[in-house]
Amino acid sequence: MSAETSTVFVVDDDETVRRALTRLIRSAGYCVESFGSALEFLGPHRCPHGCACLVLDVGLPGLNGLELQSEMNAANRPVPTIFITGRGDIAMTVRAMKAGATDFLTKPVSDLDLLRAIDNALQQSSRALSNRVELDLIHGRMARLTPREREVLMLLVEGRLNKQVAYELGIGEKTIKAHRARVMEKMEARSFAQLVRFIDKVRTPLSPGQSAKR
Amino acid sequence: MSAVAVNDVRNLEFCIQAADSNNLQLISKETLLRGHGVMTIFYVVVAALFVLLLVFLQFRRMRASISVESSAADFELSRHTFNNYAFAVNEAAVTEDRTMETSQQDRGADLRQGAGIWPPRLSSRQSIHLRLVKLSWGRFRQASLENELRPCRVRAHTEPPDDSSAAAQRLQPDEQCCRMLDLLPLAVLVTNSRRKIVFANAAAEKLFGYSRQELAAMFADMLLPPLRLNAHVAGSTCFDLTPLGGNSHGDRDLVARRKDGTEFPAEVTMNPVSPEGEPCNLTSVIDRTERYELLQNRRQLVHLTRVSTLGELAGSLAHELNQPLTAILSNAQAAQRFLATQPLDLAEVREILHDLVEDNNRASEVIRKIRALVKKVEAEAVPLSIASVIRDVALLVHSDAIVRGIRVFATVAPELPPVHGDKVQLQQVLLNLLLNAFDASESCSALDHEVTIEATFDGVDTIRVGVRDSGVGLAADTVDKIFLPFFTSKRDGLGLGLSISRSIVEMHRGRIWAENNKDRGATFYFTLPTGASAESHCSRREP
Repeated sequence: MSAETSTVFVVDDDETVRRALTRLIRSAGYCVESFGSALEFLGPHRCPHGCACLVLDVGLPGLNGLELQSEMNAANRPVPTIFITGRGDIAMTVRAMKAGATDFLTKPVSDLDLLRAIDNALQQSSRALSNRVELDLIHGRMARLTPREREVLMLLVEGRLNKQVAYELGIGEKTIKAHRARVMEKMEARSFAQLVRFIDKVRTPLSPGQSAKR
Repeated sequence: MSAVAVNDVRNLEFCIQAADSNNLQLISKETLLRGHGVMTIFYVVVAALFVLLLVFLQFRRMRASISVESSAADFELSRHTFNNYAFAVNEAAVTEDRTMETSQQDRGADLRQGAGIWPPRLSSRQSIHLRLVKLSWGRFRQASLENELRPCRVRAHTEPPDDSSAAAQRLQPDEQCCRMLDLLPLAVLVTNSRRKIVFANAAAEKLFGYSRQELAAMFADMLLPPLRLNAHVAGSTCFDLTPLGGNSHGDRDLVARRKDGTEFPAEVTMNPVSPEGEPCNLTSVIDRTERYELLQNRRQLVHLTRVSTLGELAGSLAHELNQPLTAILSNAQAAQRFLATQPLDLAEVREILHDLVEDNNRASEVIRKIRALVKKVEAEAVPLSIASVIRDVALLVHSDAIVRGIRVFATVAPELPPVHGDKVQLQQVLLNLLLNAFDASESCSALDHEVTIEATFDGVDTIRVGVRDSGVGLAADTVDKIFLPFFTSKRDGLGLGLSISRSIVEMHRGRIWAENNKDRGATFYFTLPTGASAESHCSRREP
């Protein structure tokens, strides 16, 4: 993912630290936006679009870093998050990583560590972004299916034969074949295997925790 | 005519020579009387006059043969006596003749020294014999007059012809009085106007380690060195009794010296007494070692609780230091990266350098504040603004408050006059109250944890500082006890924080108390006097 099209958000309550981090990240060529508190960040960027990551201080006054992270997750717009903290303990680290943090760094943070973490987070963000685009596409195609076609599709991707589906739905096998051809056409799948993969994606949307492993 | 008349009167001492150096004859009185009648009468008259002169001289010598006080270690001679007589001393106990020879110019000095060196040991019951030698018309001729030295043994006290000597005698406390002073448990020294010790009681002997005879040969300044210093500063032999900021007969804490050279803190009280109009001082010396140690311990306790309070804050303080360090590192690394890129953005680098300096200052400020609290210094009272005390403490607890999820508000009334006190100790009080408030708020499950510091006027010349929490408040039966030492409601508390806070506030002539709020939580207040009313008091006191 190129640095130019992605944004790094920095949230830290300490002005000088915020300014320094912003500068450091900008010196690596990223576009940076900084905020003094969690609420300030949530205001205009409730759903950040495009490729982005968040550099977040844990010890924020008011809504703290961990709470902000869960807020973002709850809003179903997870942003890859790098936590930085002056005094991290194990419990805090575990909680942050479980909630999908990509990295947990301690202050003072070295430029190499931070920039590598940012790079990782942005790659993850871009993967998630393309995934989301694909999912949106599949959902759009599925919306074109009639209820009957959807029924046929669901049974077929479970591995049933045409005649088993015909028997289950109480309709003729030829009709099933016609439905199947229309589903393939509407879902724009070149093969039945690709159709199965589409449906699989829709059924198990990426959870934030899994995304890090892929 | 050449003749030499020899006077053979009793105590013949001086040969008067009518000298013709070439022809020296010895003529008896009988021969002279048998001569010419008129000449005989003339010679008789001359001889009678001569005898009268000798008697007169002898009389003068006797008068001048002075006294030596039997109990005092010094002796006093009038200037006339000193100028005209050499004197030799025979001390019966030592059986040693000491002859003092002085030259014209340094006589005065030797006389004073003599007071110090002679006799080395002398008990009060000893009698002293003094032999005087008449000087030959103002000059010393000790060696040639050796054979003519006429012992004139004078018992002490037999003849006090000299004024200063009389004064010295009158200064001797009478025996009954001495016995009474001996019974006193505290050391008493009686000194004369020259600060010389004329009497020391038994307790003084014990306290200073000198025997009574030794003490009687000393000046009070040798036991109480600062006195001498002050006397010197004052430029007079009369000692200035007024202690700094105290009354004229007041006590003062000094360092006294024992015989073995060790020093100890002493409380010295001096009272001028005037028996029969003669000025002398009654000086009592109390060994204050124990009280001094107690004070030291108390000071250490205050310091220890302060350090332990800071220990609780260690994590937060590390964070306060970590923030500027983070900014410095990131700024410096950003600068390195900017410098490697083309075109060079000088404005950016300049800004970075500016920030570096600021962050560095910020870090040093944190360290300075911590060190000020940890440092072991004597409390000193200076005028200081309560707002700055609040600001400094708020900085120290800033990140602790964030971690605990507590919001801290401080409101200081405008134009508060300065209070007079020790900054570190007042910070300690406020820090203690704030951390207590944090603990109280944290133990409460309510969502909005708030602690408010408020500084306002409380009357005309008093400032009141309140620390208000939103915790559970105080139980009714503990309100009276919280300021007692070792009383604590915390599981791991020492119970010293509030007790020490109270002693600090009271030392500043203030008051500290606690109240439950109307809604919830409690408020701790303390007051401090402002302006000149506070100055006189706390400047000399220790917690």
